[in-house]
This record gives sequence, structure tokens and C-alpha cells, in this order.
Amino acid sequence: MNGITTTLADGFWHWLWFEDPAKNNSEAARIGDDLFMYIFWLSVAWFVFLMGLTFYFVVKYRRVAGRKLTRSPAHHTPLEIAWTVVPTLFLVYIFFKGFWGYADALVAPSHAEVINLKAQKWAWRMTYPNGAESTLTSRFNYPDESGRIVTSANEAPVFVVPLGKPVQLRMSSIDVIHSFWVPDFRTKFDVFPNRYTSYWFEAKELGDHVIFCAEYCGDLHSEMYAILRVLPEPEYRATIDSWAIPWPEGPVAVGKVLYKTKGCVACHSVDGSPNTGPTWKGIWGKEHEFEGGGKAVVDANYVRESILVPATKIVKGFPNQMVSYQGQLNDRELDALIAYIESLGDNPPAPGTGHGETPAGEGK
Amino acid sequence: MTTLHGDIHGAHGHHGGHDHHDGSYLERKGGMIATIIDWATTIDHKKIGVMYLVAVLTMFFVGGIAAMLIRYELIDPVTIAQVDGASVTEGTRLAALFGDKDMSVAEADRIYNRVMTLHGAVMVFMFIVPGIPASLGNFLLPLMLGAKDVAFPRLNLASWYVYVFGSIFGILAIVMGGVDTGWTFYTPYSSSHADPGHWRVVFMILAAFILGFSSIFTGLNFIVTVHKLRAPGLGWFDLPLFVWAMYSTSVIQVLATPVIGITLLLLVFERLFHVGIFDPALGGDPVLFQHFFWFYSHPVVYVMILPGMGIISECIAVHSRKQIFGYKAIAFSSLSIAAISFLVWGHHLFTSEGELAATIFSALTFLVAIPTAVKVFNWIGTLYKGSIQINTPMLYTLFFLFTFSIGGLTGLPLGALATDLHLHDSYFVVAHFHYVMMGGTVIAFLAGIHHWWPKMFGRMYNERWSMFACVLVFIGFNTTFFTQFFLGTRGMPRRYASYLPEYQTLHQISSLGAGILLVGFLLHLALLVGSLIAGKKAPANPWGGLTFEWEADSPPTTHNFHHEPIAKHGPYAFDDVVPPHCDPKDYPLADPLPEGAKAH
Repeated sequence: MNGITTTLADGFWHWLWFEDPAKNNSEAARIGDDLFMYIFWLSVAWFVFLMGLTFYFVVKYRRVAGRKLTRSPAHHTPLEIAWTVVPTLFLVYIFFKGFWGYADALVAPSHAEVINLKAQKWAWRMTYPNGAESTLTSRFNYPDESGRIVTSANEAPVFVVPLGKPVQLRMSSIDVIHSFWVPDFRTKFDVFPNRYTSYWFEAKELGDHVIFCAEYCGDLHSEMYAILRVLPEPEYRATIDSWAIPWPEGPVAVGKVLYKTKGCVACHSVDGSPNTGPTWKGIWGKEHEFEGGGKAVVDANYVRESILVPATKIVKGFPNQMVSYQGQLNDRELDALIAYIESLGDNPPAPGTGHGETPAGEGK
Repeated sequence: MTTLHGDIHGAHGHHGGHDHHDGSYLERKGGMIATIIDWATTIDHKKIGVMYLVAVLTMFFVGGIAAMLIRYELIDPVTIAQVDGASVTEGTRLAALFGDKDMSVAEADRIYNRVMTLHGAVMVFMFIVPGIPASLGNFLLPLMLGAKDVAFPRLNLASWYVYVFGSIFGILAIVMGGVDTGWTFYTPYSSSHADPGHWRVVFMILAAFILGFSSIFTGLNFIVTVHKLRAPGLGWFDLPLFVWAMYSTSVIQVLATPVIGITLLLLVFERLFHVGIFDPALGGDPVLFQHFFWFYSHPVVYVMILPGMGIISECIAVHSRKQIFGYKAIAFSSLSIAAISFLVWGHHLFTSEGELAATIFSALTFLVAIPTAVKVFNWIGTLYKGSIQINTPMLYTLFFLFTFSIGGLTGLPLGALATDLHLHDSYFVVAHFHYVMMGGTVIAFLAGIHHWWPKMFGRMYNERWSMFACVLVFIGFNTTFFTQFFLGTRGMPRRYASYLPEYQTLHQISSLGAGILLVGFLLHLALLVGSLIAGKKAPANPWGGLTFEWEADSPPTTHNFHHEPIAKHGPYAFDDVVPPHCDPKDYPLADPLPEGAKAH
């Protein structure tokens, strides 16, 4: 309920728009809902006023044969200025409220648990920090009009996330554009085939939420949903550990192998010493300065770009030497290299986020 | 109301005398074949306007059928039931209608996706963009300016043929099996994934490309016409507001359409020759397409709505017999909407672009809301102390104020970033733009069709039944689309062939509304066609309008006016001037003007 106004009338209207305020359990959802209800009441007030005035005029000034008309001014400058300025003030307020809520909804806290999300026609896939992927699926069962139990057409994957802990999804697609939407969290963001986008939330109650694809993506677009299950953290850890079959070494270990097998080692050190290219040690989250000006923080998108299109940003003091790895590495391998570089940072993901405590260990 | 022939401009009274014979533009020139050839080769803006009216309303009918099919499919969700131990797919209504009831869910969804694309593409490219400017605009613009025709009559005819040619490409794509890209052609789905190897997607893209040229021709023609062919004495601020709206619309058409043309060609190149522009697999960027696409398609939203606003300005002034309130504010708000419309495309990308871009575009989006709100206030201000006649065009005008206000206000949570993250690509957006496009443009179009029908065809429609049809359309429209706001906030994504059961009740109410809407439209069609056959003959100025088109006969003669009209008063000087062809007895003037004073 988090700060939702509790008057009966407002409660009813909130229910009409959003059905179940109990599911509105993330901070972004609270801000979004409050702003929505503010705009709603403001709109209702304006609308009732304008339509009331229109109705009154239409009745009062309806055409009656022979009625003597009176002149009225063809314009009225103070009135016109007023009805331009007053709505403008309201709009400025709505804009700023929207901007603040947006910033909160988009920028993940730095201690968030990072989970990789891959979208494809027509499925979602989450890869947990330990390399595990969900093996659980479920169908929606419900009675139809005649009371028979029917099921949803799609067998939806079930993803687990920890309760009360910020979770950041690092999202990318392997084919077309999709959009990750959890209506209960009131936010969505598009998922692209050529870059990472981010989505974060902190679930405050146990339970299931539906994930929809909100960007049209072809035949089974309308069946591209999944279930997001909020579990207590220990249960969450146990679940993803039990799923950790497909990639037992974890992405960091895989990245470490790729570092040697793909030739990165020839030019990049991992101990801080300079080489043909910049070292990987301690660069995660730091700023790189570039030849010809400009700087950028080393993050997932920056590393991806530096591997696929290295010539775009040349770190100051280094030659433009690197070849493009476009087509040489698949998305999973890119994720692994990114995880490896992240693990070499000054603040590697803390123990307990999954890195370094997989059953097989990471061999650090 | 009596029709006076010796009116203030002496436009009449010369019939059959010393003037050369100049009959109605609708007069037949010989037999059936001769008449067809006459229409097909005409350079008369009125005939071209009527041909456009028939063409765009035909496409509205095609798009409307697709809309009905969408609502039919969405009466229930697609589910799987266990019948005698076997899994049976249920709720695939379109599959049952068009093919095999036992189709797989994917095959059934594929039909829906094609119908959904067909609805969007036909309605946008073939109906609502050319709609009002090409039909009513073509017919009325020269008349309102007191001109004989548009500046380039042959280009005008060419634009109609280009329109038909483009539409044929679109229909061909549909006949060949349909396209499932959505009318927005988002990449890389449209360039590399949709129906690989099939020409129909290319045809649909080319249809939109060709139709763009038709828009450019019309826009260019109108701009030159307004600049060069105004009657003597008709200054810029004596122009009817419909002309201002047409002018602003034309500027957008000429400036924005080339961008979509180039973008669509790039898309065709990527599809056919695998040139990497938008598909990351070929080295392109999919978001680039969205920027290009909306750089055209957002300004074009105003190509759709500005002509509707122009019609509303005319209707509200004439049927209230009132000087429009804040003429200059409305005229300049049209121009400023046209200008700002080029700077807001990024609000279609709030969930795909960077934070800085989203913030800037959100602010600019709120900026465009202001001139729109000002127009609504001015229209309501015009009613004050008017003499308001409720008839079909005026009823539609009042309904426009109702639905368009809802459309505008529901734009606010979409323009605000925090709320848009939830509402983007949901049914809330679907409802919002239908309230603007249909509750705005289509309702205004219907107001305009009824307002100028007597002028265009010289026949009166049945007022009582038309008002009944108007109420049906209003009820049907609101039932169909108001429910969709709730669907959106409750989490229903757009472009879904199926849904979770919690959305079913609202979907069913919406489908019911669509049925009422259909009945309303069909009734209108029957009434209008009926009026051509059995309607009463229309007087030259049935509503008492003051703009030039009401000086012409109903229907106008081939050369529009018997003598070149001269502007002697403002377009809405109802307080001071008895309209042409009207009896002064019917016009109790406010306070008669002092001797020698100049009318507005």
C-alpha cells in the first residue's frame, strides 16, 4: 500500500485503474502510481470543469427564434494569458515529478544482484550469477465460462528472485527487439539485439508476478510471458544452486579461459601492468579517457563495444591496434568476458551474490 | 429560412442571361462512358475532392473491417482445454473464420498479427493521413479562398492517381497473404525476420513510400494556392481557420514526408540486398530506424489532427453564429503545433533511448500540449453568448470537445516519464491514440462531411436520423475505447492476439462497443447515400456561413463562382453581417453597427 492515499474514494479509483494495490510493492511502482493518481484527479477536475462549461453554454445560448443577441469580445488578452500560463505550471510540475520517478526507476543501486536476461522469439531466459538457468515451467490454470478448467497456451518459464534485495537485469536479445514488462512493478524497458539495457527492482513481498513482452516481435508475441517468483533469499540461493547444471564453472571462470584462448592475453594484462592495450585489472567502474577527448565509465556496454568495435573509443596513450571480434564471440562468451573483467575490478561482486561461491568454485 | 437571390455580392441573378453557361460541377457530360472519362481526366478540384472522398472512405471501410475482426478475436483468450484426454486449442476465432479451427496457437496468432497490421497500415497510410486534406481540403480550399481551382490542377489529379497506385500496392500485399510487421515496420523484425524472402513485405513498404508522394503533391499544391490565389481583399488574418489548419498541415507534409520516404527505401535495401543499416546482424542499429520513423510519424500525427481542428473551428463558429474566440491564438497555435511537432518524436522511444534524450523529449512533449489546450479553451469560449443550433455537425463538434479532451488529458501520463514506463506499449496507449485519432480526427471528419455535404452534393441529409447515428457512434466509440484505458493500466500489452483471463470482461465490453460503432457508421453511410437519391434540395447557404464557399451555389458551378468574390468582412463577423443568400429577418443582429463603421 506504501503511501497510497487511503481514503475510500481514492482507494476505489486506484483499484479501478490498477486492480490490486497489494502487488504494487516496488518503490518505482509507488512513485508511478502516486503520479498517475495525481494526473488522474487533475484531469478529472479540468475535464469536468470544461465539459460543465460547454454544457452550460449550449443550454443557455441555444438558438431561440428572435432572441436578441448581445456582443461579446472576440478575444480577451488577460484571460488568454491566464489559460496559457496556468496549465503550463501544472505541466512543469508533472514533468519534474515524472523525471524524478524515472531516475529512481532506472538507476539501479550499486549493490544490486546482477542477473543476465536474454530474450528471443518467443521466450525469456535468465542466467544467474552462478551460470544456472531456470528449469522450471508452469501454465496458468483457470476455469472458463462453463466452469471447466483450461490452461494458458504457453508453458511459461518460472524465474526466481530474492526478496528484499535489489536485482538488476542486464538484458539483451538474440534476434529482434523485445520489451521486458512486469506490470506489477510498473516499469518496462526494451531489450535490443545489439546492446545491453538495464532493468531493476526490489521485491518487497513474496509471490508471483507476470512478465510480458511489450514490443511486438512476431507470431507468438502474445504468448511470450513468464513468471517471476519472489523467494526468501536463502531459498533463492538454494534454488539457483540446484539449477546450476548447464554452466557449472560460472561465467567468470569461462571468461578467464576465453581470455587466454581468444587471444586477449596477448595485449591486455590482468595484473595492472601496461601492454599493447590497457590492463583489465581494476578498470571496472572507473573512467577511461580517450584519444581525441571524451571519457566513459567501464561498464558492460562499454566492454561490449570495445570488443566488437574497438576503434570507436581508443584509450588515451594506446595505439589503435585491436581487431574487431564481431562474429568471433557469441553473446554468452561476451557475457563471460564481461563478468571476468568485472571480477578483476577493485570492488568485485561481494561474496553472496553468487560469484565465487558456486559449488565448483572459480579457481581464483 | 428563405434564400435570397439578390444577395450582397450580387453573385446570383445572372443565370442564363449574358453570362456563359456555367452549370453545376456534377452535371453529367453525356453518357456513362463519357462521364467516366470526364471524371477520370478532370482537373476540377471539386471532382478530385469527391474522388478522394470515395477512395479514403473505401479504405476506412477496409480498415474498419480489420478492426471488427480484431475485436472479434479478442472476445475470448486463446486457451487449451482437455477434451476426452486430448489437448484442444480454444478461442482462436479468426482461425475458425479463415481456415482451420484446429490450427496451432502460432498459426492462429499469425492470422491475428496480419489483421492487426492491415488495420494499422490501411487506417494510417491510406485513410487518416490523406483523409481530410485530400477530400474536404481539395474541395473547399479554393472555394474558401475565392479561387477557381488549386494552383496546380494537373498535379492535383496526379496525386489522386499516385494515391490509388500506392493503395493498390498495399492491397496487393494483403492479397498475397498479408504482412505481420505492424504498421510501424520496426527493425530488425521487418527487415530480416518477417516472412523472409517474400515480396509482400516490400510491397507494403513501397505502398507507404508511394502514398507519401501523394501527400507531398497535395501539400505543395495547398501551400502555393494559399499564398497566390487568395481573392482580392482576403488577407492572412481574414482566412477561415480551416485554411490555416490546411496550411500548417501542408507544411508538415512537405517537410516530414521525404524523411519517411528515405527511411522506407533504406528498409527495402536492407531487406532485398542485405545492406546493414538497421539490423545488428548486418552491422546496423535498430533504434536508428525508430528515430527516423518517428521523426516523420510524430509530425504526421498532427497532419492527422490539425485538419480536424480546422473543421471544428468552422463548425463551432457557424453553428453558434459567433465570432471565433481568439482567432489569432487558434491560427498561431496551428503553426506552433506544426513547428513543435518536429521536436517530440523521441517520446515514442522512452523505453529504448538514453536517459538524457528521454528527459529532453519529455519536456518538449509537454510543450506541445499547451497550444492544443489553448485551442480547446478558445472553442469553448466561442460558445459564450452564441446562438447555438444543435444539428449533426454541431453535435459532432461537441462530441469532439468531449473525446478530444480525454485524448489530450490521457497524453499527460504518457508524456511523464515515470508513468510512461508502465503505460508504454500497453492498451492505455491504444486507447489514448484512438481518442485522439478517432475521437478527434474521425469525429471531426464526420462533422465536416455533414457540415459541407449540402454544399458538395446539393442535397440535405436527414437531420433527425443522422443525429441518432451520431449518438450511436459516440456511445459505441466510448464503450470500445474507454475500457481500454483500464486494460492498459492493469497490464494488458498491445498487439496481443490472446490474453490472461483477468482481462476478459473489459475486452468483451470493448468488443460490444465496436459493434455499436459499426451500426452507427453503417447508418451514416445509408443516410448519406439516401440523401443523394431522395434528399431535399439544399439551399446555397443552409447554416448561414460567412466564408466564400457559402456564396457559391450548392453544388458549386464548374468555375465555383459567377463572379470573382471580394472579401469585405472577416470570416466570422456574425455580429455585423447577414450571410450570403440569407434573409436578414433571420438575423437579429446584436447591436447594429454604427453608420460607416468597419466590420471585423
